[in-house]
Amino acid sequence: MPASNSTSLYDQLVRVTHVYLGPAADRFIARQVQNHLNKPPDQLSKEDLRRLIDWIQVAVSLLTEDSEIVEEYAAQLSKLAQSDGTSKKSR
Amino acid sequence: MPESHAIAPDHLPSEQRAEAEALFTSIGDGAISTDAFGRITRINPVAQRILGYREDELLGGWFPKKIIAVTPDDTVVNLIDRPISKAFLTGHSISEKMHYRHKDGRIIPVAISVSPILVDNKPLGAIEVFRDITLQEEIDRMKSEFISLASHQLRTPLSAIKTYSHMLVDGYMGKLTATQKQSLRTIIGAADRMNELVSTLLNITRIESGTIAVTPKQVQLYKAAEEVLKELSLPAADKAITLSLRCRDKSRATIKTDSLIFKEIVTNLVSNAIKYTPENGKVTVTVRPRAKDVLMQVNDTGWGIPKYAQDQIFSKFFRAQNIVKRETTGTGLGLYLVKGLVDALEGTIWFKSDEATGTNFYFTIPRKTKQAVRPRRRRPTVSKQTTNESN
Repeated sequence: MPASNSTSLYDQLVRVTHVYLGPAADRFIARQVQNHLNKPPDQLSKEDLRRLIDWIQVAVSLLTEDSEIVEEYAAQLSKLAQSDGTSKKSR
Repeated sequence: MPESHAIAPDHLPSEQRAEAEALFTSIGDGAISTDAFGRITRINPVAQRILGYREDELLGGWFPKKIIAVTPDDTVVNLIDRPISKAFLTGHSISEKMHYRHKDGRIIPVAISVSPILVDNKPLGAIEVFRDITLQEEIDRMKSEFISLASHQLRTPLSAIKTYSHMLVDGYMGKLTATQKQSLRTIIGAADRMNELVSTLLNITRIESGTIAVTPKQVQLYKAAEEVLKELSLPAADKAITLSLRCRDKSRATIKTDSLIFKEIVTNLVSNAIKYTPENGKVTVTVRPRAKDVLMQVNDTGWGIPKYAQDQIFSKFFRAQNIVKRETTGTGLGLYLVKGLVDALEGTIWFKSDEATGTNFYFTIPRKTKQAVRPRRRRPTVSKQTTNESN
């Protein structure tokens, strides 16, 4: 894969998810992408993410009882899906 | 209370809504629906009866907290391992056996089927249908007990017959004539066959009832196959059949599988090969280690399997006509058993056969076979108060 100075959408998705799921974030998102989109994580697009948000939301809803947290997380994902999809690396 | 759109969405015509409600209420199994936040939106009367809760105690509650899934020893199951989580994770229906904790603390074995509710491909919740399988589990347990009892009761007299026949033949109870010895050898042979038949029937019963225990351990397949060939060297010698064993890379032929089942498979295939190969023939066992599995091959120079019979060769009680004429002692259960045993080890089996040249049986054993020992069933007990009451 060509080197890139930006963080992929997938990485950003994992980073957002890490706030809510901690170290399980990477595995959780990888499984969501694999199961619902059947494509490699590095090929995740904004359109894919929009399709994925509902599934991520229902899956997280069974891991926490706090629906406000779930809605907040889903809102963060929607924001990410609407952004330009890449961001500069902080390191 | 969350708005209910799990079973009969508001946008549906009232007739369809009524139909969906009636279907949900009258279904013979327990049924629970949730919204997209995992909150219970419907619970039918059967589910209330199985779990011991009233509708108002569960409606609006968070499903994983209200409906408690436990292991048989009453340890709470991880949320991620529950069928409803898996259904949301995969987007597909999930069917599994699990245990629910009744309101009074009893542990109820249940068969669960859960599906996401999709509208325009968007998940709106899930519907879980489940059945109390306490009786079924009890029947399974009784079946296992019967198998164990029958095994003991049938084998014990057979051992006595064999032991005393051997003692008589060996002259421990006085000198015998050649004719008497020959008769005793016939008795011993018949007892051996009956013993084999009992083992075969017991194994088949275990496979069919799903109670066969697979206990994977590191097994040196070459060594295990060598032991089988040693055990079968006498019947092979009786027909002047040459038995041989080949392996390209013995060091890679050690895998994690069930040794007893593996040896049972090889024993059946090799003894079949000996039985259905004419005198002075050859039977060769080859062990071929591969990346993800080991391919086993049992080759003979026997009479082969006629084309018309090849589709039915793994069927119960099937025996090809060309074999029945030559060999009258078979039961038609050997290959049926072998297929079941290979399946139990998560392998595959197939064959190539020609009436002119003989038969090649192939089977694969994956490098890691999963443990498949049924958990010890425990009778539901009234032991502790449910934590749900405090929720």
